[in-house]
Amino acid sequence: MATTTASMALSSDLLTGALSATASTTCMKAGTTADGLDQARMGYNLIPTGTSFDLLDATAAGADKAAKVMISNDSTDETYYVTIVIDAKTIGRLYAGDWMFIPWNQDDATHDLEITATNGTNTITWMCFHEGETLTTQAD
Amino acid sequence: MATTTATITLESSDLLTDVLALSTSATLTKAGGSTGATQTSGLARTNFTVGGVSPFTSKVIYRANDATSNGANKVYLKNLSTTAAEYFTVYIDQEQMGRLYAGDWAFFPWSAVDGTEETFVVTIAGSWAEGDTWSFDGITTTAANTTVADIAAQIHAQRFPNWTTSISTAVVTFTARVAGAAGVVTGTTAITGDTLASSSGTANITSGAAGTKSESDIIVVPSVATTMDLEHMLIKE
Repeated sequence: MATTTASMALSSDLLTGALSATASTTCMKAGTTADGLDQARMGYNLIPTGTSFDLLDATAAGADKAAKVMISNDSTDETYYVTIVIDAKTIGRLYAGDWMFIPWNQDDATHDLEITATNGTNTITWMCFHEGETLTTQAD
Repeated sequence: MATTTATITLESSDLLTDVLALSTSATLTKAGGSTGATQTSGLARTNFTVGGVSPFTSKVIYRANDATSNGANKVYLKNLSTTAAEYFTVYIDQEQMGRLYAGDWAFFPWSAVDGTEETFVVTIAGSWAEGDTWSFDGITTTAANTTVADIAAQIHAQRFPNWTTSISTAVVTFTARVAGAAGVVTGTTAITGDTLASSSGTANITSGAAGTKSESDIIVVPSVATTMDLEHMLIKE
């Protein structure tokens, strides 16, 4: 079994007292504690403005699983952002320097994870940890 | 300026041929600038003991009303369960994002696209008598005198659980606290649920507009009816 650990730490002086949160999880297959997610896709992309792109295509094998997606916007211009959409529903805007980490349930074929850049070509790093994918048979 | 920093670290020694080690930090700022995020819900813990049968009762963790639409808002969620099979299904409005299994966490930007709040205007007029009443939203206002502006002021001074008010002389404007098509405003001059008890005073609805639902409420559904706990936080501008 592969062991992949995702950790986060958040700290802030927004409040009078300390505000902090930490979390760490070993990325497991759905509903298990003994079998880690054993597949990954990753990329480093330049996202031009004006077009909504499929960053990750949903597949039936990913339905009701425990896939995790990390996206980091590596752009440095603070006005740049990418809009993250799942199946036409906007999740949010990932501004330059921001990152996100979410569970992704490909509960139907249209559940693609889409991305659109604004204000300039954005640079992103992304990873998807998942299970159950089989490659498509070569057709030509 | 407040400084809020979020760091993610992804590590694996055996998923790939070589070691995977990725770490990145973000200083959370307002949209499109370098000014730090200024508000937070604080770190919270919500218990889900819902009973019933699947699908179990959901809870709205954050309403789009809670943050600026299309701002650089961030949401943190963590499933505190230690039972492997227990998961929260996370929805943005009606769209499923994914399942947060025991121990899993998520951190993501949130567009918080709000709907519109229902609103209506009630105009106090006619000949009110001391002791006449107008009731709405479970609150009854009893006229302290016969002056319509004073009665409107009394209504405005109430703390309606589901509505905010503003006033102009004898005209009180009601706005729902939460966006949605709640069905209270049934027309441009009609609402449901108000009761007037006066012989010749009036409290006519002189304008109104229905609302629309939010497009971004964060809704969480537990996978079991027994106790599950979710840790969560909203950082917003």
